[in-house]
Amino acid sequence: MKLPPFEYLEPSTVPEALSMLDAYRDKVQIIAGGTEVVNRLKLRLIRPDYVMNIKKLRDLEGIVEHEQSIIIGANVSVKEIRDSSLLQDKYKAIAEAAFQVAAPPLANMGTIGGNILQNTRCLFYNQSEIVLKGLDVCHKRGGASCLAVKGGKRCFSVYQGDMAPALIAFDAQCVLEKSGSRRTIPIMALFTGQGVQPFSQENNELLTGIIIPKQNRAYGSAYRKLRVRGSMDYPLASAAALLALGADGRFAAGRLVIGASGPAPKVVDRVSAALLGKLPEEADLKAAADMAYELSEGVDNLVLPGDYRKKMVRVFAQRALQGARTDMKRGM
Amino acid sequence: MKEMKRYSLTLTVNNETHEVVAPPNRTLLEVLREDLHLTGTKEGCGEGACGSCTVLVDGQPVRSCLTLAVAMEGRKITTIEGLAQGGRLHPIQAAFVEHHAIQCGFCSPGMILTAYALLNENPNPGEAEIRRAISGNVCRCTGYAKIVKAVQSLAGEGR
Repeated sequence: MKLPPFEYLEPSTVPEALSMLDAYRDKVQIIAGGTEVVNRLKLRLIRPDYVMNIKKLRDLEGIVEHEQSIIIGANVSVKEIRDSSLLQDKYKAIAEAAFQVAAPPLANMGTIGGNILQNTRCLFYNQSEIVLKGLDVCHKRGGASCLAVKGGKRCFSVYQGDMAPALIAFDAQCVLEKSGSRRTIPIMALFTGQGVQPFSQENNELLTGIIIPKQNRAYGSAYRKLRVRGSMDYPLASAAALLALGADGRFAAGRLVIGASGPAPKVVDRVSAALLGKLPEEADLKAAADMAYELSEGVDNLVLPGDYRKKMVRVFAQRALQGARTDMKRGM
Repeated sequence: MKEMKRYSLTLTVNNETHEVVAPPNRTLLEVLREDLHLTGTKEGCGEGACGSCTVLVDGQPVRSCLTLAVAMEGRKITTIEGLAQGGRLHPIQAAFVEHHAIQCGFCSPGMILTAYALLNENPNPGEAEIRRAISGNVCRCTGYAKIVKAVQSLAGEGR
């Protein structure tokens, strides 16, 4: 499939990139690894006037350890995250998520920034122009109907990124820069929860880095996902868990995040209070996984039935919690 | 939209320098096949799922169907045509022939380049590592067993 026409921008510094974004705003599409954007271009889901390649911005590279945090540049490839011994050791859920992103050649190309900012997906949206011509125009394409949920008043497209749930489990933040200013927000705040426009990023902002705070007590983490082909698919249900233990051997904190369960990752809020002060026993992990089930959204808009995916959220949430318990280690 | 600007690109493919003039919406796959006539690189799905368009960029397997040619200046590109030297098959190609790891042959360029990158990074991979490395390359003929055997036959050989 051919790409549509566009003009190409290739800034060599971050200020240059920010000034291009300021000038072109909604007319520009940022590209880094290309694994997501090139497909969206080919399907004509986007038709930008300009494509701006940020892959040559050296300031967006590197995984750097600081006293209180780890900073990952937005251009760091999924492969680099997967292969980082620091992340494998201390941030297992993040390394596990990277290991399960697509297949190795796509992990070589894709970046963490691009993975976080991948758009929501739906069987009635991620199709070629020819197929879409035969369908009603849905919310995601600017229409007023939902083809997945008959009579649906909103877009039920699904966020299928692997990295974001794992990063959110660690309460990671992201740095958004624009000409003259920068802001740091929790990654969770990057999501609007709306399928039509999933991100709160402004049209002249560039995601430049991810900040992951260090843990100061015994903790463990894990990421688990359901997919049809173990080799390369997007998650159809996923969960990231972070568990922390106090000196008394009881839970001091618990954080469970589910993915592929709606237009944004979801923090299962009740898990933290439910686990606090409890011994790390199976019944409590199961109860926490039940809370994930209640929060998940099972819609028939991906390759497996919605009710099955919803049930699998519970299964994979429990597995992620079990994995986090197994990964338990001392604070950094 | 006005007519797209065309870029004069200097691409290094299989250790040779090529001058190509292309608009920015040309993929590396299109430039390799249509401009440089290096048709060993195949187009399968065109959306990054099948792996038949795999080439090496700076030694790493990537999908050429998802790669903009204009972004490839200064990078070292290797296609299947770059492996055989002096009319002799590369040992990985020879192993694929030897182990009957080729049937229709459509996935073979991508498979062989992926195996080449794996063996460069890890000269002695186990079966699980081989299967993981080629997990992004779809083969509809062989069931993968003979491909894995061909790569395994080279483990520990150091080339």
